[in-house]
Amino acid sequence: MSQDRNASADGLETLFAAYREACPDPEAGGDFMPRLWQKIEARRAFSYSLKRLARGVITAAAAAALVMALLLAPQHRVTPSYLELLAAGQSHDNIADTEIVQSSYENPR
Amino acid sequence: MLVEPELITRAREGDDGAFNQVVQAYRKRILGTIARLIGRPEDVEDVGQEVFLRLYYSLDQLRSPEVFEPWLYRLTVNSAYDYLRRHRRRPEARMADLSEQQVIMADAAAGARKDQDDQRRGRIRDTVSALMSAVSEQDRILLTLKEIEGLSLKELEKVYGVNENALKVRLFRARQRVLKLFEASAHKTTGAGV
Repeated sequence: MSQDRNASADGLETLFAAYREACPDPEAGGDFMPRLWQKIEARRAFSYSLKRLARGVITAAAAAALVMALLLAPQHRVTPSYLELLAAGQSHDNIADTEIVQSSYENPR
Repeated sequence: MLVEPELITRAREGDDGAFNQVVQAYRKRILGTIARLIGRPEDVEDVGQEVFLRLYYSLDQLRSPEVFEPWLYRLTVNSAYDYLRRHRRRPEARMADLSEQQVIMADAAAGARKDQDDQRRGRIRDTVSALMSAVSEQDRILLTLKEIEGLSLKELEKVYGVNENALKVRLFRARQRVLKLFEASAHKTTGAGV
């Protein structure tokens, strides 16, 4: 059994060696290099257009973000908080008081 | 190395002329390896182009010119693996082919007659292809690199990036699988002959 195994292993080795001889290194065709460069250029052009597309998308996204910011920013400003409203109301009162005091001082009865 | 390390460095830095020279130096060897890996002469150039295309776009990732050859072999293995997976054949069909070619296999095993007849060579190619088609793509590639291409374990270690012991185990298992098929087909032949 072991002898059979060894014989088979030897046979397989010989077959592999014969295969190595039966498949010598082939010569490349004459158009190997031109075809390769065509593929390199095609992929380069593709990645260039992809980069351009990506850059366009990024620019458009940035522009959209800017427009959104401009549209939303004033809305944010016209909705003051309760405290802001209160402060604004108080300062208005003070001015009114000052006016009353001033007018009564200027025109004493 | 088939080229000077400086040439690799120049190619890595984007010198197209240097890249051309590198391809011209290695293409015959790589095409030969691909031919023996995939076993289909009509597709060898296409796979070879894929290897060098991948090389062009990954050369900037190469750490140093000294590891160029294992790097190129790795690209070759990956391209051949992708090809074999895309063109996977049904094992049962290939096993049928195998049983028809036992006489040729016996000839090759005997090794006595080494004529240069194209027909015989073709049959040897078909026999090995049939044997290899019956195992996984990984086993096929590993065995081809070791047993047919004659790469050492050290070289395979660099190509695969795994340690020698792991490779030995994988090789042993792959070899056993192919040997089992080889024996089974040989028995079939002797059985059929009786």
